[in-house]
Amino acid sequence: MSEVTIYIDGQEYRVPANTNLVDVAKFYADNDIPVFCYHPKMAPVGMCRMCLVKMGSVEKNRETGEVVTDENGNPKIRWFPKLQTACTQTVYDGLAIITNSEEVQVARDDIIEFILTSHPLDCPICDKGGECPLQNLTMRHGPGQSVFYYEDKMHLDKHVPLGELIYLDRERCIQCARCTRFCDELVGDDVLAFHERGRRLQIVTISDPPFDTKFSGNTTDICPVGALTTADFRFGARPWELKEVPSLDPYGPEGANISLSTRLDRDAGGRIVIKRVMPRQNEYVNEIWISDKTRFGHHHTRSDERLTKPLIRQNGQLAEASWEEAYQVITDRLRAAKSLGVIAGPNQSNEDLWELKQLASHVENHHLGVFPATMSGGDIVNTVGVGVGTNFLDLKKGDVIVVVASDLEEEAPIWYLRTKVARDRGVKLVLLNARPTKLSKYAKYNLTYAYGDAVSAINSLISAVIGAGKINDEILSRVDGYDELAKSVKKPAYTNFTEAAEAIGDAQNMIVLAGSEGLTLAQQRELMQACANLLIVTGHVGRPNNGLIPVWHGANIQGAYDLGFTAEATEAIYQESLDVVLVAGCNPVGEVVEAEALQNANFVVVTSLFETETTAIADVVLPRQSFAERDGTFTSGERRVQRFYTAQGVIGESLPDWRIFAEIHYRLGGPKPKLSAGAVMAEINKAVPSYAEMRYKKLAEMPRQFPDVGGEDLYYGGTAYQNRGGIGQQTPTVAEDPEARLSVRPVEAMTPKFDGLVVIPTTLLYDRGVLFRRSTLMHQRIPAPHIVINPEDAEAQGITDGDTVAIVVEGHRYEVQVKIDKTLPRGAVLMPRRLSNRPDPSVPTVLESIEKIVQPVPVTEG
Amino acid sequence: MENILLRNRTIPEIGTFETYLEHGGWEAFKKAFSMSPDEVIQEVLNSNLRGRGGAGFSTGRKWSFIPKDAERKYVVVNADESEPGTFKDRELLEFNAQQVIEGAMIAAYAIQATAVYIYFRGEFWDIAHNFEQEIAKAREANLIGQNILGGDWSCEFYTHLGAGAYICGEESAMLNSLQGLLGQPRVKPPFPVMKGGGLYYEPTVVNNVETLANVPWIIVNGADAYRAIGTPESPGPKIFCLSGHIAKAGNYEIPLGTTFRELLYDLAGGPQHEGKGFKALLPSGASGPVIPLTEDMMDTPMTYESLVELGSVLGSASFIVMEEGTDMVWAAYKMAQFFKHESCGKCTPCREGTYWLNQLMTRIISGQGTMRDLEILENAATQMQGKSLCALGEFATSPILGTLKHYRAEFEAYVNGEKQKELPASKTVAVAH
Amino acid sequence: MGIINGLLTTIKYALQSPVTIQYPEEERVVRERYKGKHVLRRYDNGLERCIGCSLCAAACPADAIWVEAAENTDDERYSPGERYAKTYEINMLRCIFCGYCEDACPTEAIVLEHEYQLSFTDRRDAIYTKDMLIVPVPEGGLPTPQKVEPGTFDRAIPDMEDPK
Repeated sequence: MSEVTIYIDGQEYRVPANTNLVDVAKFYADNDIPVFCYHPKMAPVGMCRMCLVKMGSVEKNRETGEVVTDENGNPKIRWFPKLQTACTQTVYDGLAIITNSEEVQVARDDIIEFILTSHPLDCPICDKGGECPLQNLTMRHGPGQSVFYYEDKMHLDKHVPLGELIYLDRERCIQCARCTRFCDELVGDDVLAFHERGRRLQIVTISDPPFDTKFSGNTTDICPVGALTTADFRFGARPWELKEVPSLDPYGPEGANISLSTRLDRDAGGRIVIKRVMPRQNEYVNEIWISDKTRFGHHHTRSDERLTKPLIRQNGQLAEASWEEAYQVITDRLRAAKSLGVIAGPNQSNEDLWELKQLASHVENHHLGVFPATMSGGDIVNTVGVGVGTNFLDLKKGDVIVVVASDLEEEAPIWYLRTKVARDRGVKLVLLNARPTKLSKYAKYNLTYAYGDAVSAINSLISAVIGAGKINDEILSRVDGYDELAKSVKKPAYTNFTEAAEAIGDAQNMIVLAGSEGLTLAQQRELMQACANLLIVTGHVGRPNNGLIPVWHGANIQGAYDLGFTAEATEAIYQESLDVVLVAGCNPVGEVVEAEALQNANFVVVTSLFETETTAIADVVLPRQSFAERDGTFTSGERRVQRFYTAQGVIGESLPDWRIFAEIHYRLGGPKPKLSAGAVMAEINKAVPSYAEMRYKKLAEMPRQFPDVGGEDLYYGGTAYQNRGGIGQQTPTVAEDPEARLSVRPVEAMTPKFDGLVVIPTTLLYDRGVLFRRSTLMHQRIPAPHIVINPEDAEAQGITDGDTVAIVVEGHRYEVQVKIDKTLPRGAVLMPRRLSNRPDPSVPTVLESIEKIVQPVPVTEG
Repeated sequence: MENILLRNRTIPEIGTFETYLEHGGWEAFKKAFSMSPDEVIQEVLNSNLRGRGGAGFSTGRKWSFIPKDAERKYVVVNADESEPGTFKDRELLEFNAQQVIEGAMIAAYAIQATAVYIYFRGEFWDIAHNFEQEIAKAREANLIGQNILGGDWSCEFYTHLGAGAYICGEESAMLNSLQGLLGQPRVKPPFPVMKGGGLYYEPTVVNNVETLANVPWIIVNGADAYRAIGTPESPGPKIFCLSGHIAKAGNYEIPLGTTFRELLYDLAGGPQHEGKGFKALLPSGASGPVIPLTEDMMDTPMTYESLVELGSVLGSASFIVMEEGTDMVWAAYKMAQFFKHESCGKCTPCREGTYWLNQLMTRIISGQGTMRDLEILENAATQMQGKSLCALGEFATSPILGTLKHYRAEFEAYVNGEKQKELPASKTVAVAH
Repeated sequence: MGIINGLLTTIKYALQSPVTIQYPEEERVVRERYKGKHVLRRYDNGLERCIGCSLCAAACPADAIWVEAAENTDDERYSPGERYAKTYEINMLRCIFCGYCEDACPTEAIVLEHEYQLSFTDRRDAIYTKDMLIVPVPEGGLPTPQKVEPGTFDRAIPDMEDPK
């Protein structure tokens, strides 16, 4: 990066070119230029005028380009007559500013005074009080007293719900537009706007339902005053009473870094509980953003329904028992077991998975399955995954992001946000899907294929890349199987992909995000291979900002694959009848129809937070700990191994999964259980080559980040995003080793031919999953069980929008609402997972029947 | 002198396409079309035509800033004439529309624009309707639209109606409004002429209606002839809008450099009421500082420079004249109200400052003010200066500071309890001392 | 001489009234500014002054105060404004009666009064809850929570002086 020289208060600094003056002054000169409207993650607007500084340029000799100096040898500077806003200035060579003169100080005082004249100053009851940029800057600048009349203040509404999650206090608002700009410019959801003008200027929500974005909570973080507060935390605690514990999002594959704000709570019986979830700055992962699911979905951690004691089935009923009794029953059965199937849930930590694997190895015939078993190819990710050091923020003009078979906004909102923002920086977005998604309007190329045909689409892209002569010749020397691949894609199914293929071939960097929508597990695995083929032949592997990112349906599916668990094994467990099945932290029986087969197992052990459909068939149920009560590591889809830490007290007698498995293993003759999760990780470090460097200490390393939004000077980012838990480490990929051979192989489309309507299971962000549904605040956002259907198909079936219908899929009957979507291709019926309390089909399945339920006429009495 | 701008005064119906053609209309455009775009810009540059919207920036220079290689470029005609006491553009648009259209098309040709937009204030809906018909006639004659006059260059002409905001007269707020965004000014730089600053963030020339109405004459008669009118620094004719306490209010097209006396006495007939002298002048509507209108300055020529020397600005030359006996505090109060109503609210000093100036003025005018309030008033206005995002925040202070400077005694009469005005209940503020 | 002086002193004091009092039959009247047990005050209309801001807890050098806040509604209003103290506890074993809480309070809700007779037989009894601290409803006032007209008490501070 090229550097320029700038002068701040007479001091010379070398700083990177094309960076924002406020960011640079803070980072390099430790000079806090006060701001309200400017936010380091958004384009400057220069509205609040708080950042006024004296600005000028160093005079240079026009011929020689040398800096002209005065008699003292200091550079001669030509100053602007008026003060200028620092936030709207990009640094250039010779830029000079003065921030400590009286003129500047007076200007700051004046602006602060103006802002405060309309502010209600009700800090004692304000949730932001104590971590408020306006408070902090008022302490530093501004007159101690205002000359304006208190009675002349404008009074506005103080309690305006913007939807059910966020409250607006119009009096506290200082019209900085951070919230509207975040929604509009960053997320792309046009849901907030200014209404009226002048002093009456106020924030309103313009969407129906109100504030309809999956990122609404972030606006409360960036709000420089207490105008926006969350319904979840409202009056929950004062910020100085909270203890921040670094943690990770337990839901998504992005590995979003969060901070759990904890405090003692009388309602929870005087225990330490999570009061709120805040983002934690990690520029590589989620910057400072988290989705509303991450933010408001934490209530399962202290639900009253949590299991507190082991349960053993006696006479058909589950009855409370001691751990020793439970271990006894389990070890007895495992000693005799001929076959064992384990199904690891989506947020089993690496330590849990490792101990589970050790335990399973006790039974020779065992399967290591992962749940949900929607996607495969973790091994492929370890070959061609994104290079170490990858950061979406580094993608720029000339780079390409490909998203295939995924509705990114619903499945991985942080990646959606980062992809969308990358596209705003000039990154070309290539979207391959069978239906339009929210990302479609940002895509440069929207490539549509028939449902189930994702592999053909990628093959067609490869074909077009070859046709355009854009194959990376350099890499071919280390690639095996190219000729066969080239031969196999000679007849592409889709011939209109040329332009997109050229963009891909010309791309400096390329990231492929691969999902699983509308695909069977086998098809999905082939899709991963097809994506690998595409990445390899175009040379987009083995370096940062290049490679494959799988859109896993869970927080640690990548870790599960790294440690030997697969979705294929899960299918095998469903199909074979096994002696013992151990389900760790998930609810397959309640979520997918295939898992009903687990009932046939002789003995079922389940670790769970709650009673579920799966614990209902279990012989022993063991209370596990949620992510908040213990520590561990998750591996994100970008293969970043990150730590989460213990935030709250243990509920009942629950134990962390790794401990449970280690105890059982110990009783079967295994080694003594480790004392900590860190010790388990130390063992993984030794045993798994790609995890050799993933030591706890290293994962907790915390380099300084630019821009430093995380600091304690809250004025800058809106609140403290301080990261004290480390930014994690990415595991290396095979492709990064220049000696390693890379192989491509032809993949077949395997497109099934269906007659009639096909039910396509899709994933929504807000569902009735075991953990998420405990957050009652979010219930309004969870849609009713429904199907989405094309209007023509609907007409043919005699149903219309809003109808309630009964559909039968593989013999299972579901009562669902009908939503009509004309953008959906004909023949496909989308059925979002985990909305009803019944297990859903997990793969595309023929719709057997659909009929309108005639609502019984309510009987009115008398 | 022959009218160059208000030709409708001598030629009836000149605003229609047919009559306009009969009187040499569109000859200038055709002449410009035979020249290269750079030659056109050079000609306008030589004429030293200065923008008539208020700032007085050289029109030719503005055109020359447009990058030649830009794929899309626009001309936006600022017809959001909202300054109190200004009604010059209205007469041009209403009765001499073709000349404005022609001027705009010459500008469009000079920068090789892809389209011209004219932004009318919302109240001009009838004018806009008529304007569209005149544009259609010019389009039919192949002067607008695809392959103009058989050449390669195509340029469309669109009209747009504002929704009633003073701030949309500010060029960048106007561009936002044209784009369908909130009518709030943008941070400059980038300026509209630069990539990233204009309409749809493409290079854009924004010109006032009156400015463009000058252009055809310059092209036909040449820059030298134009510079012969007026003074070297401020050449050309200018329409002065006279309103207030003046015998004959209205638009007066006179060369820049004419003296106050010639305009106010010889042409406009002096003060409205016999026996009264002039007291004060607002030379640029509400946005310029008020100055006492004294006998000493009557022989001063009116130019952009001379008004600055007098402590005000020429601006759009909308003279609001006040004669003896006018209550200057009341005038300042009305202007404070105006700016409070029209501040867009984007930047802090203007949003808060205009609100508090109005609150303080309300206190004073209703007889509840104190000497300390005068001090606060002056401080608040000073506090706003030099900090706001666009010029509105600056303008809002000038009536207050100007009036305080010249007529402090009148304010003191109010705060000393000698005077007070009954205000309707909706306008009062809660007072508890 | 010394002995006489000593006797005189004895006689002088023997004739004076005693400075000791017969506690607990008799209770000493304390000074106006004596800092005894805290009370949580109310406004004249019965609404609680405390808004649950926790500033007293933040100011407390002995970490003796525990506050949890909740939101008022017009149907169930405890205090003016949006916020009230759902839980308010003072651990009298920890309290050092410094009065910092009083200084920190933005609504003058907590005041150290003259009550000094504190005794408990159990550590738990030393924790005084809101019920024990809050003063009785004044004459003419209503107990909390009150049902009020919407929009009547929507601001806590600084419009706090006896909301009408």
